[in-house]
Amino acid sequence: MNKGGGFVSESVRRLSEETRRLAELYMSGEVGRSVRPAEFGLSADFVDSGPTPDRLYAEAVRRIAACAPLRILPGEKLAGAATVSEAMRHEVPLTPYRSISHTTLGFEMALRFGYRGVRRRIETRLADNGLDAGERDFLEAMRLCLEAARHWHARHVAELERRMAAARDGERRQLSAVLVALRPVPEHPPRTFREAVQALWLLWNFQRLCGNWSGIGRMDKMLGPFLERDVAAGRTTLDEARELLAHFWIKGCEWITAEGRGSGDAQYYQNIVLAGVDEQGLPVLNAVTDLVLDVVEELRIADFPIAVRLSSRTPERLLRRMADLQRLGGGIVAAYNDDRIVPVLAQFGYPLPEARNYANDGCWELLVPGKTSFGYQPFDALLLQETLGLTRPEPDERRRKIECDEWAPHARPDGARRDYPDFEALYADFHHRLERQIERLTDASAFSDTPCPLLSLLVEDCIGRARSYLQGGPVYTVRSPHAGGLPDVANSLLVVRRLVYEEKTLPLSDLVAIVRSDWAGQEALRRRILTRFEFYGNDRAEADAMLARVFNDYTDLVGARRERHGVLRPAGVSTFGREGSVFLPHRTATASGQKRGAILAPNLSPTPGADRRGPSAAIRSHCSLDYSRLPGGTALDLKIHPSAVAGEAGRTALVGLLRAFVRLGGMFMQTDVVDNDVLRDAQAHPDRYPNLSVRVSGWSARFATLSREWQDMIIARTEQGRYGERP
Amino acid sequence: MTGTVFDVQRFSVHDGPGIRTVVFLKGCPLDCFWCHNPESKCRVPNIGYAPGLCLNCGACLTACKMNCHRMENDRHVYERAGCRRCGACAEACPAAALETIGRETNVESLIAEAVRDRPFYEATGGGLTLSGGEPLAQPAFAAALLRAAKQASLSACLETSGYADGSVLREVATLADKVLFDIKESDSERHRAGTGVPLEPIVANLSRLAAAGARLELRCPIVPGWNDRDGHWRGLAALARRVRGIEGIRLMPYHPMGVSKAERIGLDSANMPREFPEPDTVAQWAHAVQALTDIPVGVG
Repeated sequence: MNKGGGFVSESVRRLSEETRRLAELYMSGEVGRSVRPAEFGLSADFVDSGPTPDRLYAEAVRRIAACAPLRILPGEKLAGAATVSEAMRHEVPLTPYRSISHTTLGFEMALRFGYRGVRRRIETRLADNGLDAGERDFLEAMRLCLEAARHWHARHVAELERRMAAARDGERRQLSAVLVALRPVPEHPPRTFREAVQALWLLWNFQRLCGNWSGIGRMDKMLGPFLERDVAAGRTTLDEARELLAHFWIKGCEWITAEGRGSGDAQYYQNIVLAGVDEQGLPVLNAVTDLVLDVVEELRIADFPIAVRLSSRTPERLLRRMADLQRLGGGIVAAYNDDRIVPVLAQFGYPLPEARNYANDGCWELLVPGKTSFGYQPFDALLLQETLGLTRPEPDERRRKIECDEWAPHARPDGARRDYPDFEALYADFHHRLERQIERLTDASAFSDTPCPLLSLLVEDCIGRARSYLQGGPVYTVRSPHAGGLPDVANSLLVVRRLVYEEKTLPLSDLVAIVRSDWAGQEALRRRILTRFEFYGNDRAEADAMLARVFNDYTDLVGARRERHGVLRPAGVSTFGREGSVFLPHRTATASGQKRGAILAPNLSPTPGADRRGPSAAIRSHCSLDYSRLPGGTALDLKIHPSAVAGEAGRTALVGLLRAFVRLGGMFMQTDVVDNDVLRDAQAHPDRYPNLSVRVSGWSARFATLSREWQDMIIARTEQGRYGERP
Repeated sequence: MTGTVFDVQRFSVHDGPGIRTVVFLKGCPLDCFWCHNPESKCRVPNIGYAPGLCLNCGACLTACKMNCHRMENDRHVYERAGCRRCGACAEACPAAALETIGRETNVESLIAEAVRDRPFYEATGGGLTLSGGEPLAQPAFAAALLRAAKQASLSACLETSGYADGSVLREVATLADKVLFDIKESDSERHRAGTGVPLEPIVANLSRLAAAGARLELRCPIVPGWNDRDGHWRGLAALARRVRGIEGIRLMPYHPMGVSKAERIGLDSANMPREFPEPDTVAQWAHAVQALTDIPVGVG
């Protein structure tokens, strides 16, 4: 945890002072606040000529490349910057189009073949006389986008040459080094580590300049071989390589404004995946893996959330390194379990080499990078209890329009609550709702006419199929149903079953009335439920079995619809913070004793406050579910008090949690070591904690930049294993 | 085989090696004025009452046969005089403001709970730890737990005050893979004054366990204003030098969590310190002790 005015670590100093100063500058928000809306547009003549959407898009990219301001700050080792603010709003600048996020593009392919190789493929494809007008138009638009990227590159080369001519010795040498690495890439495949880092930066950053927020993907797999060759040949040192990677991280903070907004500053889905295995199953663990962790440790930059792919074969050294970073707080480093995920993806139908090469969509949902058009379909399973009378009686149309339409609350078919003679009848009704919801999601069209030729350049088979990312061009189009609220559904069913049908102490109609009244005048009953039930997260068979029942039914329903209309539908479970934002206004009280407005379970984690037996019990509950049924993935969020993991014993314990999570068959775990007292203090005095980062869900954010509701949600998550709290 | 336990805490990381499940046995012959687990002292269950959780619903009035609960101006008052600790009020209390601390339980169910975290133990060299209270206050139960742990292939540690019948202690302690042996004070007079019992039998037992080949770690609560002084550091170092086979010395800085726990069970907390020692101070203690001995000194 990093308090005080400075952003970067005082105790770890491997980077040069110059690099550390640059980090302070970017992280203060000064650079981000200087990003302005585009002061240029499309010519009226062009727009009046009635271009196709793809051509309009391509012209916008051309204009951006030609007119967007360059930003080359003194001392920077990498060239390229995303300098128009429309891109920060998830738009394609100069156009009416939404840009694309939640994907990881084919940077590995682009590093291998360069833009040059991509261009050749487009030209070869254009030579095919069998193309129809639309296909030809799309391929032409791609080619124009590639030309624009080349122009953007040329402007940087010219500007660096101009500055070099005016510079003195030291600065001149420094600019020259930037220029030498920049000149050949990404047009040609990089030959050195420095060229490879520059190429990756520009490939990613030009997409970003035009509004597309891609994840980075498997950075150590892509860059490691370059570094190993260079070090072996004596062309560079690990210290130099670390500096260079640090500049990647620092420049990645170019959109930080340090002004509060919703879910925080750090939410541009720029996830990085480390370690794991390659397509042949050989371990990926190289000098870049270590250097990335070095950079994060020193700069404490949370804007590139890192997920490390673990397995039973992960060396102790890497786990200890992760534990050290986790103890810094901020939740920057999370863990995937290859032993679980690779077989699940292979079983779902991906060829084994592609399953082994999985990365994420920039958050934590799983995909095959560079080959996948990804989307997910979140819905709140808790609302499906509505027909049981266990949530809000009628959908609120007004609110639905305001908040979001990504989930759909459903009117009861007959407008009235039924009575259920036994628990099975009640459960069958829930199951029926769930089935209808899954059908609705899996029948929804996945394709869209929104143009995206620039992004499609880096996704395999868009050129071959002459179709865009959003029109089935990629090898895989994935729309993953993601259920939220499952733990609270199960907890509520547990209470209904016991009180109404087993103990018969409360008729269902009474319980429904109590829940609808938000437990008014029923505090004693509510507290009795909260104190007497051991809900999901306590490693108790009864609660875990109830969740397993709901989970298995959900995954069965989605699993039966694995592919429809060429779209893959892997089941996932998530909330991604919606439990504190868009889900919250629609939820009422629950039968499990939660009042309206309470922040309920994140992802597939225990409901805040319900897990009373510490993180090992929470992990066991979570891992009691069979994740071979869940190719879309899920997350366990752990929040641990710093005192519980202090010292050498604490580090051993964190390593133990990771190892046991892998062995017990979990998928993804994000651990945040954080003190709620500190968070409350930071809420009251944001100026004292400018760089206090916390894990939100799939990304980390500077706490001070979160809105109040998001801050409250972070604080509400259970803090496990606090020292000294024995009853 | 049954015994009285007041807590089972999973994911304990500072009570022996690795991740451990700690079973807290009730009852203790010592009466340390700073005790951080005051609810452990009494061998039989206590009734805890946390007024902050009370709903003033009156459920306890109906449940209690001894009329220990009454309402004054719509607020619940619990009068401990006359309470037989039957637990009926705690059973009735919806909010767990009243609770029975200490439950009779058997070896099988405790081992069944402990083995659930086996993957965590195997990843860290952890296991089961018996603590208290003083586990030797229930010697047969403690021995049965340790034997059952061994049968279940669980590593087991025993934390003890060392104040017990010497031969019984040796018999029980040798069933454990490691003994966390408390030394609260190294000066005889001060020990008796602060804990209510003499130091000598404790030191004799420590030597006895060492002679029997037990793996030993000294656990030393450091209470500011009572034993945080050079004389005690020297005493600890001398003891560790004299007794062979001590693998480590762990200083346990005082924390005032025991205050509210004492108040919940109706004990007087007036003499209990209220402050946490500063981290810098704790580091100085560890440094001072380490300067006097080759045995590794840890904190926490």
